[in-house]
Amino acid sequence: MRSVWVAVRVIREISRDRRTLAFFFLAPLVVMTLVYYAIKDDQIVNIGVVTRGAARFFEMDFISTLEMDKDVRMISMPIPDEETDPQTLDRLIRQELATGGADGVLYMGEKMITDRFDGREGTLHLYVEGSKPIITSAVFGAIADAMDELAASLPVVIDSSCSSLCAESVNNKPMVLEKHYSYGSDDYRMVDFFLPVLPAFFVFFFTFILSTITFQRERLRGTLERLLVAPVGFYQVIAGYVMGFFTFASLQSIIVVAFILKLIQFDFTWSQTLAFSVVVLLTMLVALNLGLLASFLAHNEFQALQFIPLVILPQIFLADIIWDINGFPMFFRIIAWVLPLTHANAAARDIMIRNNPLSNSWMELLILAGFIVVIFTVMTLVAQKKDKSI
Amino acid sequence: MNAGTVSTEYILRMEDVVKTFGGFTALHQTSLTIPGRMVFGLLGPNGAGKTTLLRLVTGLISPTAGKLTLFGGLEPGASAARAMIGYMPQSLAIYPNLSVVENMLFFGRMYGMGEGALKTRIDEVLETIELSGRRDDILANLSGGMVRRALLGTTLVHKPKLLLLDEPTAGVDPVLRIKIWETLRKLCDEGTSILITTHHISEADRCDRVVFLRSGVIIGDGTPDDLTRQYQADDLEKAFVVATKEGVAT
Ligand SMILES: Nc1ncnc2c1ncn2[C@@H]1O[C@H](COP(=O)(O)OP(=O)(O)O)[C@@H](O)[C@H]1O
Ligand SMILES: [Mg+2]
Repeated sequence: MRSVWVAVRVIREISRDRRTLAFFFLAPLVVMTLVYYAIKDDQIVNIGVVTRGAARFFEMDFISTLEMDKDVRMISMPIPDEETDPQTLDRLIRQELATGGADGVLYMGEKMITDRFDGREGTLHLYVEGSKPIITSAVFGAIADAMDELAASLPVVIDSSCSSLCAESVNNKPMVLEKHYSYGSDDYRMVDFFLPVLPAFFVFFFTFILSTITFQRERLRGTLERLLVAPVGFYQVIAGYVMGFFTFASLQSIIVVAFILKLIQFDFTWSQTLAFSVVVLLTMLVALNLGLLASFLAHNEFQALQFIPLVILPQIFLADIIWDINGFPMFFRIIAWVLPLTHANAAARDIMIRNNPLSNSWMELLILAGFIVVIFTVMTLVAQKKDKSI
Repeated sequence: MNAGTVSTEYILRMEDVVKTFGGFTALHQTSLTIPGRMVFGLLGPNGAGKTTLLRLVTGLISPTAGKLTLFGGLEPGASAARAMIGYMPQSLAIYPNLSVVENMLFFGRMYGMGEGALKTRIDEVLETIELSGRRDDILANLSGGMVRRALLGTTLVHKPKLLLLDEPTAGVDPVLRIKIWETLRKLCDEGTSILITTHHISEADRCDRVVFLRSGVIIGDGTPDDLTRQYQADDLEKAFVVATKEGVAT
């Protein structure tokens, strides 16, 4: 009977805590919705076709074949018709991939047709951007499905001695598909996509948890109060926390990066590492301030713990860590925008995969800095409200 | 510090101080002058407003109305005033994963003490709190009584002129309680002013002056002997009971 009363008390306590209730019941629904959008097998890819020379006659066949796949959207390439220089074409195609207008581009030149007439297989060129494995594999999948059809639509040479059987085999002569990556390569794996975001994620995750818990303890134990009675300012305490956590965060990043380097033999230059450190440092500052804010909002350690999944889970699912968020409904993309890790990840990938300088990510860095300022301000306001002394 | 010269006059003066939290009045209009160099006891049940009064003195909270001055003219919260105060909160406000010495070093540094002076002072304080033998032990490995003593030690490192002790003897066994009071008496003899709160009525006898506090109102004020006589009781305990009853009546 006693345990029943204990149970009643527990249920009563929890049911009076709206935050716990909402978290308990709504979070699984939200997570499942996200997983649904992510694994739902309809990653739409934008594919463009560029043909030159005699290959132009077969462009429409290609397009109609590819269009049969409902996950493919054919787009027209904004490349002047009169442009025929292979190098310029190569550059223009890659540019289109970089701006995100196309996920994959098929290029078929004059040589393709002449090769076919000469009885060779001929090479079809497929261009992909390459930094997003999910998109890349969706493009490959769509093209692979259509390869036989595509080959069938191409001209064949049947000489007089050829039997109908022979003609059949010639007709089905496969093409060679040559893949061109803007970034990465055939060996580019899922792990290469994750790698650059892992240090930032871990730093964020652990800094947030540690700062939430330690600062909560500092408040509950009364040591924060003692520090504020001593001639120590609130901002000095915060600065101390920043420094302490910076130490942990740097150590952690070094360990994570070193481990990953060893594991997958990814080559980083020093300037990449340095630029990357800036991103990780900003991420750490965001997480630290967010942790302090959470500990001020929480009335007890249990509530402080609740903030952890609340902050961490959306970032796992929506901040471009596991999958690309662009195919998700607008609603989720807006949420993703207000998640610090979305921006940290974008900058990290730009630096580590595309090997761009830090200045290229100025927008992301600015947004992260903005987060720090906003969260710090809110945190100070909340702290002042809770504790007049600060 | 120049405030030290005036501190003989009074260490704390409250003039019509009121403290409310939202609509709740934790401390009703209170006037009180506490002279220096004595053990001043603040006695009252839980919720009487003892902690609130101490926090007002530290400057952690400010009065809703009235005026509060320290050391003959300093505002609570002024850095000169804060430097002269040693505050020991009701909770175990100390870091359990640090050793006794590490905790004392930390708080000494928070008060801006030089390393040399700090080391000498820590040895002194360790003697006072009788923890010299366990100085390098992590607090988590010490007994509850030792942690209490270490906590007191960390409030003493910077040689405060005024010690604010919030129920330092709550939940402490009788042997340690006697020890703590002996230590406090010694500190007082050496010139430290002490403002201590307690809900153990039996402890009030050990103070030089006592104030009875109940629901944010002072219901008795004087030396233990005065109070016993005033309420025509045999001892302070009975005096408190009588005072409490009168408090209800008014
Ligand atoms: N920050 C606060 N907000 C609201 N009420 C408070 C606050 N601090 C104290 N109180 C209330 O003021 C009263 C006196 O509290 P306190 O000074 O802690 O009493 P004591 O230390 O004598 O036990 C209590 O009823 C308490 O609930
Ligand atoms: Mg109290």
